[in-house]
Amino acid sequence: MATEKELSDFLKSVEKRAWKRAVYAVRDEDAALDIVQDTMIRLAEKYPDRPAAELPLLFQRILSNATMDWFRRQKVKNQVVRNFSEYEGSGDDSEFDILETLEALGGPLQSESAAESVSRAQILQTIEAEVALLPARQREAFLLRYWEELDVAETAASMGCSEGSVKTHCSRAVHALAKALKAKGITS
Amino acid sequence: MKLDDRTYRDAARAASEARFARAVAACLSESADRLSPDVAERLRFGREKALELARSSRGEAVGVTASGAAIAGFGRSPWWLRFASVLPLVALVGGLVMIQNWQTRTQISVAAEIDEALLGDDLPINAYRDPGFAEFLKAPPSE
Repeated sequence: MATEKELSDFLKSVEKRAWKRAVYAVRDEDAALDIVQDTMIRLAEKYPDRPAAELPLLFQRILSNATMDWFRRQKVKNQVVRNFSEYEGSGDDSEFDILETLEALGGPLQSESAAESVSRAQILQTIEAEVALLPARQREAFLLRYWEELDVAETAASMGCSEGSVKTHCSRAVHALAKALKAKGITS
Repeated sequence: MKLDDRTYRDAARAASEARFARAVAACLSESADRLSPDVAERLRFGREKALELARSSRGEAVGVTASGAAIAGFGRSPWWLRFASVLPLVALVGGLVMIQNWQTRTQISVAAEIDEALLGDDLPINAYRDPGFAEFLKAPPSE
């Protein structure tokens, strides 16, 4: 069973990322705060006796459910269905060779010469905007896998899909992001 | 040979994707660390509320377990705890007995006062005209 300190430390470590993820999904900062608070309360109320090691997966699952509940409450089910129908992506990824872009990359994300005047904050804002524009399942897979640092199996369990689907979603998300960021003069 | 090339290309591609994804994730973390104080405060409030709920639900769970064990007669609670749980029942029974006793004494006391008032008062003159009373006076004392 996780101690109170373990639970507190865990919530502290995930709350900011959880809020950002909720913002990407619902595009409303106040609603995202409500979703994260609801998630933390559900976790603390229903699973206070779970071991600390189980908290990350439980939290991600509850956060996904809380986000879906928000969409249901907002009566935008049609929009959710439309977003989910975009899982497979536009199918034009093959036209864009990520290796071509990535081979030229060496260090951390930086602006190209044409965008050198763009501030760091603006770059981050652009990246966030592009992440938010990803199809819902691609974004979820990408964030769980690379931001929350879950492995493929854990991501699949959290999303309720196969490991193969997770790999596909992640790959498509990476290609879409690389293409969109390169178009805006940002490379990594 | 072709297979090796393909495997190598796939691995390189996967590594490039992972490197790019981690760079993006690092930027997202950097952005998340730049939250406004208002948002950070509201997140802290939510966290503390959740921890409070966790504390209370853990307490309830412990309470339910302890009372369940006591009712079922299980558990190894100390003697004074068992004695303390019986104490209210003993106090209730004792109180009821005392109330009953006090009520009986009050009734006896009221009856005695009435008898005393009757016996101590003057006998009305009409009482001697009552045949029953005359018979009572003529009859020898029973003791």
